[in-house]
Amino acid sequence: MTAIISMDGDVALVEVQATRFDAAEAPAFKADLAKGIAGGPRKVVLDLTRVAFMDSTALGALVSLLKMLGKDGSLAIAGAQPAVRRLFELTRLDAVFRLAETVPDARALVRG
Amino acid sequence: MQEHWCVADIVPIHLYPARLEEVSRLSAHVRALCEAAAVPPEAMMDIELALAEAANNIIIHGYHGRTDGMIAVGVRIAADSVSLELQDEGKAVPEGLFSKCRAISADAESGRGIGIIQSCIDRIDYRSEGGRNRLLLTKRLNH
Repeated sequence: MTAIISMDGDVALVEVQATRFDAAEAPAFKADLAKGIAGGPRKVVLDLTRVAFMDSTALGALVSLLKMLGKDGSLAIAGAQPAVRRLFELTRLDAVFRLAETVPDARALVRG
Repeated sequence: MQEHWCVADIVPIHLYPARLEEVSRLSAHVRALCEAAAVPPEAMMDIELALAEAANNIIIHGYHGRTDGMIAVGVRIAADSVSLELQDEGKAVPEGLFSKCRAISADAESGRGIGIIQSCIDRIDYRSEGGRNRLLLTKRLNH
């Protein structure tokens, strides 16, 4: 299990379990999302607190999640560690994803 | 230019199976060497990211589904730089790939690896000869 998905009202909390979220983990993550999110909740908080390292394949899986949620959906990312933040900045995707320090902060962002 | 190609000639080479699930082991090996040499954490972050992207590219595009491929890695740490050399025997990358600048749309789900390597690494040298590809990544250290 790469991601644990739980519901808090209308917000799905997706907790990535891997400390290394990379090309080896991304397919399982996408499969977990397809089971837990597709066609369901439109507001998602993604908790990356445990993730010490992430690569561009995992980042691609997050882009796929964003597209899955669509225009009416809302996604915020919590707990990105320095190496993960660096990846978002290098790829300019820090302008696309909403990054929050904590899960409660991210939940507030998706609830608007 | 020749002096840039001496990494694998003077340091031990370690071999890893070219499989995505092995990249973490390859990465841990390089991280341990860098940590032992007190490479600053900011540089380490960039080295680790570039290494993962380069190894992923070799596995996904170079060996392209082959499961018998290997990646050889050599690391040289000097006072002012870290050099990583990755060798493989998969398909060579297209001419000029590492020097091209490419625009990636924000909603693309792949294609960011080379740009990340270019952003993280100060000098990239690549050559392919006799079926063997050698990628040399050099990161300057600002202590």
